Amino acid sequence: MPVIPAELVHSNPGLDTEQIIAKLLGGETLLSDTPDHLIEVVDVLESYGEVLDAYSKNLIYQGEHQFLNPFPIFKYLDGDLSPAKIWRHLNHDRINFEYAEYCMKGMLWHATGGMDAYFDSEAFNENCKAIIAAKRRRDPLLAILHPLFPDFLSELIRNAATTHALGQFWRVMSDLFIDLAKAERAGTVRSIPDVVDFIKQGLVAAAANPIEYGVTIGGQQFWILPPEAKLTFLVDVAVPYVEAVFLRGMPFLGTVSYNAQAQQISPDQATFTYGALYADPLPTMGAGVPPSLLMQDMYRHLPQRLHEWYWERTRGEGDVREKICRSFQKSMFCVTNAAISGTMPHALDTTDPEEQEANRAYAASWAGRLVIGRTDCLAA
Amino acid sequence: MLLSSLLLIPFLGTAVLLLWPGEQPLGRLRLVTIAILLVQLVASLVITVQFDPSIAGMQLQEFHSWLPGIGLDYSLGIDGLSLPLVLINAALTLVSAIITRDIDRRPRIYFAMLLLISGAVNGAFIADNLLLFFLFYELELIPLWLLISVWGGANKAYAATKFLIFTAISGMLILGAFLGLALLTGSVDFSLTPVLSDRLAMGGQIVLLLAILLGFGIKIPLVPLHNWLPDAHTQAATPVSVLLAGVLLKLGTYGLLRFGLQLFPEAWAELAPGLAIWAAISVLYGSLAAIAQTDMKRMVAFSSVGHMGYVLLAAAANTPISLLGAVFQMVAHGLISALLFLLVGIVYRKTGTRDLKVLHGLLSPEKGLPLTGTLMILAVMASAGLPGMAGFISEFLVFRGSIAAFPVATLLSMVGSGLTAVYFLLLVNRAFFGRLSITPNSDDPIKDARLDVQLAPVAPRETYPAIALAAAIVALGLLPFGLSYLSETSITALAMQSMGVS
Repeated sequence: MPVIPAELVHSNPGLDTEQIIAKLLGGETLLSDTPDHLIEVVDVLESYGEVLDAYSKNLIYQGEHQFLNPFPIFKYLDGDLSPAKIWRHLNHDRINFEYAEYCMKGMLWHATGGMDAYFDSEAFNENCKAIIAAKRRRDPLLAILHPLFPDFLSELIRNAATTHALGQFWRVMSDLFIDLAKAERAGTVRSIPDVVDFIKQGLVAAAANPIEYGVTIGGQQFWILPPEAKLTFLVDVAVPYVEAVFLRGMPFLGTVSYNAQAQQISPDQATFTYGALYADPLPTMGAGVPPSLLMQDMYRHLPQRLHEWYWERTRGEGDVREKICRSFQKSMFCVTNAAISGTMPHALDTTDPEEQEANRAYAASWAGRLVIGRTDCLAA
Repeated sequence: MLLSSLLLIPFLGTAVLLLWPGEQPLGRLRLVTIAILLVQLVASLVITVQFDPSIAGMQLQEFHSWLPGIGLDYSLGIDGLSLPLVLINAALTLVSAIITRDIDRRPRIYFAMLLLISGAVNGAFIADNLLLFFLFYELELIPLWLLISVWGGANKAYAATKFLIFTAISGMLILGAFLGLALLTGSVDFSLTPVLSDRLAMGGQIVLLLAILLGFGIKIPLVPLHNWLPDAHTQAATPVSVLLAGVLLKLGTYGLLRFGLQLFPEAWAELAPGLAIWAAISVLYGSLAAIAQTDMKRMVAFSSVGHMGYVLLAAAANTPISLLGAVFQMVAHGLISALLFLLVGIVYRKTGTRDLKVLHGLLSPEKGLPLTGTLMILAVMASAGLPGMAGFISEFLVFRGSIAAFPVATLLSMVGSGLTAVYFLLLVNRAFFGRLSITPNSDDPIKDARLDVQLAPVAPRETYPAIALAAAIVALGLLPFGLSYLSETSITALAMQSMGVS
């Protein structure tokens, strides 16, 4: 057996279930509070905020201006068809909006939360019929397609609705993360608990924001996600998003091959653990690994302080995207931490034993899911 | 004088390094060696320009009587068979010097030995006298033995001694054959021309040819005389492995063609069917043994055993196409095996291991060795004979030239070529694909997936020689006519000479 130099391979200890429960109930953050972690989380969230701003604008643009467009070849250009913009796009000097769509498809496919329930409602079905009828009168291709594939257009409408809703969700998150960076620079956020609290306050403040979506066809307004559906930011979009992207995710083509027939991928998608909190950062930038696109996008907007912090570590610029991925994972644990804390059934300092038990059960249910995540990134 | 420069430059360089007063740092010695080897490369290129490819025989000949009493003359000449090998010697010794960066002791002697080997190999390739060839053939052994035994790995003494014993026997057999030729013909004329063997009875010819075959068979090496090679490679430092696989093994195949086929064409024709089978066995054994290896370097070493078998197959078939294939194979194998050893060396330097049970996912773009992995994939594709690279041209010519004469042996060798893809895909799959790791897989995949690996990055300068070799492999694969232009006339004449005899 060869002697492998110890400095080449190492692993951090992860957290066990009891440790996670204790941290959640004790009001402690999952991510250990260190100055390095603060730089990583705040700065990577700032760059993420910049990227989400672009994603959000594009998803909303797609929802409003590319609705049921059979050939949306310019969908990533936000309506700017100038030669300079097209050249930059073709030259790949651009944000990878494909990642935003990947997240959207994850949400649509995992289908959890109130929005998905609304998609199955009669009201949504009626709206779809009206929209398709209006659209068929103006688009001969859709007029032919609809009778051939009756479910096709309504599925595209669900797609567009999820796209728009994710755009609305990310609008809020983008502003929140950029505000977090400002607060840290202003000195009001000084530690990881401050970060988690800031995000929690932001989520709570936006929790009841309505999620609505309508389109105009031939001058006539149609609702897809109407106000009557009473869809809200936190429960109907944020929580399904966390479920789909942070937790479940999708096994992607990358450096690891899965044999689905041998059930190396669970047949029950509810038990999937391919999300951001479980992802292995090492294959970053490998062929076909979608988070690579996000890391590349964040790299474009990396704050100088974090960039310099990366330069001083491991391969410097050589593995910067992988380091961004690690920092991003840490920050996503903070966001999850904030979400759990914000949705805890009762106040953490409650003295009522029943409420304490309810809190404990809630924390335990989360701990059961997080314990197999990459908690090794949380250590100091 | 032009050919003498191929001896003067490296030998004078050796003397300069050895006699340089004072303690010299490694970097300076390396630069001086590189400069000397660049001059040698330029001299080799000048010779290539001066060389007239339309002439079949020896060119640019030089002759000085040395010890006429024993038939040893300073007689040099070059033809289309030896010129490509001289070029590859110049190029690969230069590569060896360039990639030598971390010699821990006696750098002066190390570089002097490198130059001495290069000069001796040049001498062997351009010697136009059997004894002069033998002199250079033996001269190369000592510095190589030193390079393995002083700068080798943990088990270097064993490997170096084994190498010395095998190759000393090889030398004795070759010298015995040369002296036997003089004894049986009653002549002390050891010049390559005129061919002396036609004065011999077939029995005598076969005995001498067998000695030549065994002697050079050890050097090539052919199964079952290959035993020294994997150990020598495993223990040798990367630059020495590059030189050993890329250049020194070619002394064996060159000797086989020059002193086996050319000197004993009648006996060769008699033994050819057996040689073809021997070649097929060597190819298959080398390939199968390579599949069983878990040390990357041993795998590449066994692949050398297999691939050098093609040269014997081509020589046995002895057609103009097959012999041209043999020359291509010598050059292609020189470049490909040099590249493979160089890349394995980079992997070893960065990870501290060559164990295929331990290495995984080195192609990882951010944390692994992606350029090294990319070049490795190119190298194994070339070795497996994929079109567009040097290996395809040589294997195609060898098989095309041999299939009519020895269909079974050729088909078996083609199976060996397929096996090359098997073992090299095993290598690439284990070491370069999957999740990056340099530890054995445990039973807990979650634990394995949490290992962080911190490999030092490969500096661009470390890969320049590999990129140059890869470029040469592709260039030879896409533009093979340059080499065939140099060699075709000589090779055709060699094949025709023996055809005429048979």
